[in-house]
Amino acid sequence: MTPDPLNRLVAQLAKLPGIGEKTAQRLAFHILRAPGEYAQELSQAIREVKEKVHLCARCFSLTDSELCGFCRDNRRDERTLCVVETFADLMALERTREFKGRYHVLHGVLSPLDGVGPEQLRIKELLTRLGDGHVEEIILATNPDVEGEATALYLTRLLKPMGIRVSRIAQGLPMGGDLEYADQATLAKALSARREL
Amino acid sequence: MRLLALHVQDFRNLGQVTLAPSAHASIAVGQNGQGKTNLLEALYFLATLKPLRAGRLSELVRWGTSSARVTGRFLLKGAEREISVEVAGGVRQAFVDGKKAASLEEYFGGVSVVAFTPDDLEVVKGGPESRRAFLDRAVFNRFPAFLRESREYARALKNRNRLLKSGPVDAAYLEAYDETLAKTGARVYARRRALMAELAPRAQATFASIGRTPEPAAYKYHPAHLGDVDFASADEAALAVALKEALAARSRRDLDRGFTSVGPHADDVTVTLGARSARAYASQGQQRALVLGWKIAEIENLEAAMGFLPLLLLDDVSSELDPERNAYLMNYLAASGAQVFLTTTDAGLVRGAAAQDTLWLGVRTGEVTSVVPVQEPPAQAQHADEPA
Repeated sequence: MTPDPLNRLVAQLAKLPGIGEKTAQRLAFHILRAPGEYAQELSQAIREVKEKVHLCARCFSLTDSELCGFCRDNRRDERTLCVVETFADLMALERTREFKGRYHVLHGVLSPLDGVGPEQLRIKELLTRLGDGHVEEIILATNPDVEGEATALYLTRLLKPMGIRVSRIAQGLPMGGDLEYADQATLAKALSARREL
Repeated sequence: MRLLALHVQDFRNLGQVTLAPSAHASIAVGQNGQGKTNLLEALYFLATLKPLRAGRLSELVRWGTSSARVTGRFLLKGAEREISVEVAGGVRQAFVDGKKAASLEEYFGGVSVVAFTPDDLEVVKGGPESRRAFLDRAVFNRFPAFLRESREYARALKNRNRLLKSGPVDAAYLEAYDETLAKTGARVYARRRALMAELAPRAQATFASIGRTPEPAAYKYHPAHLGDVDFASADEAALAVALKEALAARSRRDLDRGFTSVGPHADDVTVTLGARSARAYASQGQQRALVLGWKIAEIENLEAAMGFLPLLLLDDVSSELDPERNAYLMNYLAASGAQVFLTTTDAGLVRGAAAQDTLWLGVRTGEVTSVVPVQEPPAQAQHADEPA
């Protein structure tokens, strides 16, 4: 018989995405055996992430203060705004260190099948935010799937009449990647969207 | 492409089957309900990851066992590859050389099958949905990217239909989905059009030689309700515009009915003899010959496009064809050099496709065994023609 506290930890860990019962057990044993304050620090980190991290009041990315780092940073260009589905997408764009504008996180995409309409997304907040007239271009960086595409088209319909330049991120082959590794649909799309040199 | 070895485990009523197919014909003989078709379906499932007959994936698993697995060793472009597919808990998993396949595209690289079943023979007579499925299977065989493209269209369609059913809707929201549906739908149109352009002339020529009918056959795909766009020559962007306009024009009616009434999902393939609808006017024999013409065209077309013949699966087709057309098919198979799997209740019907190197299999209550070929009976010259 394993002790109940251990069972409880395993059960909680096994609820995490991508973690099966076996892995949960291994993680639990690791935590149990780890030296000194590790377990303390882990539990404190978990508690704090829940207590302190919330949505930025302006762009709805994550922050532990009123406004997030991207919104507070004066060096960022407030004339360009990049609209993303999730905070994870924001982080992916940020890793490129190419984009110097600001962000807006929708927290999802329009998906009638999943019961997500415009009211469930941070679209109203986006429109309110544009009221100050600083933004000149909006880059729509939703995913290139059916729902992401529909969301981008919907936003275009709302934004164009406001006189804002709207652009959509391009799709095609990954850089530095081999043609042979690209899936057929991507390759087919890249072929049909070829350009003259 | 050649299948060198096949292993089937707990698939439908088949327990364990291991066989080394012939490079040409392999023929499974057995009474109905013994598992002949299941053997073909195992192969079809291996090559397409889709069941041949409608139903849930979990129905593929043999009663009383927890998982089914089909493994094939193929000679593909000079290299031996092992691909396999496993169904457990209603989920399928594909493997290439023992490793989980990261994507369907990786899995499908190079393996190609054409299946021909008695249900196919009814396709001219049947409903539009069976003709669409028949067409789309051919499109997928020819253009593997179509698998994802048609799924995207289906997803956009489901979303739009849900939106229509949910009652009064924000106009911009519906328009956004109209446009998404139009874009993905235009791709489906373009794929179907490209396939028909390749296939129709071949199918018409084949029918001319087997139809025993003076009138020429015509196989056509033309989208319904698409306005006055010139479908034969319009580019994909123009098709998307036309579909978007058609969707907008019908949006009130679609909202009333709660479903989308125009698009690739509502189209049909028309088959005519002379200028008359084959569905309404052709005899059963002619209708089946029209399908046979299409299937042979599909095989030839794939060979022309890929440089090798697909694997052919024929499920008890011979018993549904009249003797002369059956003889034509058997001769075609023997002469094509293709690797073929046939099932039959009567070995005599398929002997025309057999040769020295044919693998004869007996199928009985889910057991598949290699058998010695039945002796050739005296030749029968009498071919009765059925009334038209």
